[in-house]
Amino acid sequence: MNLPDYEFLSAPLWLITVLHILTLTLHFVAMNFLFGGVIITLYAAVRRRWDDPTLKKFVRLFPSAMAATVTLGVAPLLFLQMVYPKQMYAAAIVSGWFWLLIIGVAIVVYYALYRCALKAERSGRISKLALGLAVLGLLYISLTYSSVFSMAERPGQIHGLYARDQSGWMWNPAAGDYVLRWLHMMLGAVTVGGFFVGLIGRDQPGAFALGKQFFVGGMVLATLAGMAYLLSLLPYLAAFMHTAAIWGLTVGMLLSFGSLHFFFKRRFWESGLMLFVSMLTMVYARHTVRLLKLTGQFDPISWRVAPQWSVFALFLICFVVMLAVVGYMLRLVFGAKRHAS
Amino acid sequence: MIYPFWDEPVGYGILMAIIAVLHVFVSHFAIGGGLYLVITERRATRADDQATLEFLLRLSRFFVLITLVFGALSGVGIWFIIGLLAPTATEALIHNFVWGWAIEWTFFVVEITAAIIYYYGWNKLAAREHQIVGWIYFIFAWLSLVIINGIITFMLTPGRWLQTGNFWDGFFNPTYWPSLVMRTGVSLMLAGLYALLVASRYPTSDFKARTVRYTATWGVVGLGVTAVSQWWYWKAIPAAITTRAEQIMPVPIHAMHYTIWLAVAIGGLLVVFGLLAARRLPTAMAAILMVLGLAWFGSFESFRESVRKPYIITGYIYGNGAELARTNAYKSAGLLARIQYTTGDDGSDLFEHSCRSCHTLTGYRALKPAFDGTDRAYIAAIVRSTNLLKGNMPPFLGTTAEAEKIANYLYQRIDQRPLGEVYGLQGEALGRKAYEIRCGACHILGGATDKSKSFAGLGPDELNAMLDMSAELGKGMPAYTGGGPERAALVSFLQELGKQVKR
Repeated sequence: MNLPDYEFLSAPLWLITVLHILTLTLHFVAMNFLFGGVIITLYAAVRRRWDDPTLKKFVRLFPSAMAATVTLGVAPLLFLQMVYPKQMYAAAIVSGWFWLLIIGVAIVVYYALYRCALKAERSGRISKLALGLAVLGLLYISLTYSSVFSMAERPGQIHGLYARDQSGWMWNPAAGDYVLRWLHMMLGAVTVGGFFVGLIGRDQPGAFALGKQFFVGGMVLATLAGMAYLLSLLPYLAAFMHTAAIWGLTVGMLLSFGSLHFFFKRRFWESGLMLFVSMLTMVYARHTVRLLKLTGQFDPISWRVAPQWSVFALFLICFVVMLAVVGYMLRLVFGAKRHAS
Repeated sequence: MIYPFWDEPVGYGILMAIIAVLHVFVSHFAIGGGLYLVITERRATRADDQATLEFLLRLSRFFVLITLVFGALSGVGIWFIIGLLAPTATEALIHNFVWGWAIEWTFFVVEITAAIIYYYGWNKLAAREHQIVGWIYFIFAWLSLVIINGIITFMLTPGRWLQTGNFWDGFFNPTYWPSLVMRTGVSLMLAGLYALLVASRYPTSDFKARTVRYTATWGVVGLGVTAVSQWWYWKAIPAAITTRAEQIMPVPIHAMHYTIWLAVAIGGLLVVFGLLAARRLPTAMAAILMVLGLAWFGSFESFRESVRKPYIITGYIYGNGAELARTNAYKSAGLLARIQYTTGDDGSDLFEHSCRSCHTLTGYRALKPAFDGTDRAYIAAIVRSTNLLKGNMPPFLGTTAEAEKIANYLYQRIDQRPLGEVYGLQGEALGRKAYEIRCGACHILGGATDKSKSFAGLGPDELNAMLDMSAELGKGMPAYTGGGPERAALVSFLQELGKQVKR
């Protein structure tokens, strides 16, 4: 039967990889704002600093940050499924219920954040509980992602787990593969959250100090966790050292520390840009580790490429329109704010 | 078959329905509701109608909480669930339509941003700017439908794509336009139903009366567009699919009939409580209208999903993930050669990859009751001829030995006692049960495949002889392997069927 073959990439691999890394970094920015912000706000709430105007502003932004995290997470998931469907779906199926539960947990987190945002003036116990619930939910979601995506790099392990149990209740037992990476990401999120608290509270000494405290402390801890994760990659370390990712990672670390310098000087554009580029290099390093772990089992270069340029061109046009329309709407909002003030 | 199989107890159809129906019920409201908000805001602003503007502010909070949270996340949930339940088909869709989805993502980003700014902008933006954001929201929400509609309709009617493999051939497939118009109509109808729920909570007043009447008009207009385009949609589906469905697929046909009756009920209630007795619309009635709207969507999605059978992508991938293009390879090398994730039990692996995506043993579309009281040979014969049974199932593409492995797997899990003992039946009741189990899987009494006429005038000896040679009576017919008492009761039942035909 002469039916079309679906096993192809509809754009060159490098293009999909670039789009994946870029959109995943954007997703991480929104996620870090959200997770770091929730952690810092919860900390402040416990320390009876709920009335801080910066934190109130932060709390009101949480639902929008959640919307941004979800929306910006769709694109990298799409590109990942395109290149690694066989690894990703297999890992997700083995952990099926944990994977599906992400949606339910995310809905609960979202409503908890709305509860806090709509009642931002009140520091009642329910608001604190809602924030606590959101933290737990976000921790579950992040840990499940780490577990499943790490499992996707070990097809042999998936075969073994599936042979033992097909009910979708199998959690990735190779915790060494992902716990340190997950910890590094969570601490990184707190770091970035600290940056945003400092940025939004730049005119209030208390809020800026709080942001600085988390930015610096988070970065020290995230660096330690990151180094520990790098060392845990021992079997792949020699190969990793021969890739461009090690240079990227080095530059990324320097940029991270550099961002602290500019943060202290309250030059937030420079600091934020350096932080963003350092995240980009870390996402690239993560991508390289995935390829190294899959070596001998799967090489994305093996995909047949059959570009759909006409649809891709339409995507690019839509992407530019998206930027223009979102920019226009934000201008309306900030214009209205200036007008009101 | 290159993926593991998720052996969950709920049933694939139920899991899919729960997530998908709830999602479409919210996501279509997200489109129609956007238009309702901005048009109504424009009218109210021009008339300086503060009461309506306050109603819209209240509605938009409800709108944001429902669509941004549940709508957006359940949409991601559909991705999650299809990847778990039908990974092969999902992979095929992703590879073919990735840029379509990427385009939809750009619309989604604008839609979400606009929704947030629209909601928070009520007291911050100037009226004109606020309405511009409202229009941006609606346009991009509808454009999302324009894109996703192409992928959804492709699954039922891939059209020329099956020959060309071209993106645009698959996207603008035979049901694309009717489906787009119909879903736009549904969006308008749901805007009316959701807004009625909010309006119904107002105390009886002139304001409530005119708001309910205005909102119900949206529901009626949307329903009218839906009804006409649903007929167009039905006509656009290739006759080969609809004719077969009418002959042997009761599920989609019943579902389509339900949509008609539900539409009549929604229309009737909208006219009575929305237009004629608008002043007193109770919240309970508005909630009933919502439930009917949800039931309408559930029925329509049930039709759309089940009329595709035996395929998940018509003419390309079967519902159990077997690919048509690999039919010859399956038949020659067997299914086991293709199954990559194994459990060590061939029977279990074959059952899961061939049958389990539509059937469970004891729950959803249970197989145990269909085989209790039968035997290995009968089950194996049924497995070999699944495509001839009622319900339009995929063909079994494995080898004869593999069919027997599935039969053995099932036989070990059914009640192996004789049929009469299993159900505590004898006489005519046993005969009827034996017919239901052994014959009814194909020959539905009163249906297109009813063979009662051929029993007219036959006596027990002739009927027994017919049972003896049943395997030769038609393609895929299983040999009759039932025991003595069951056989006697079945013969007696067949004889009675023959007499009824003669009368």
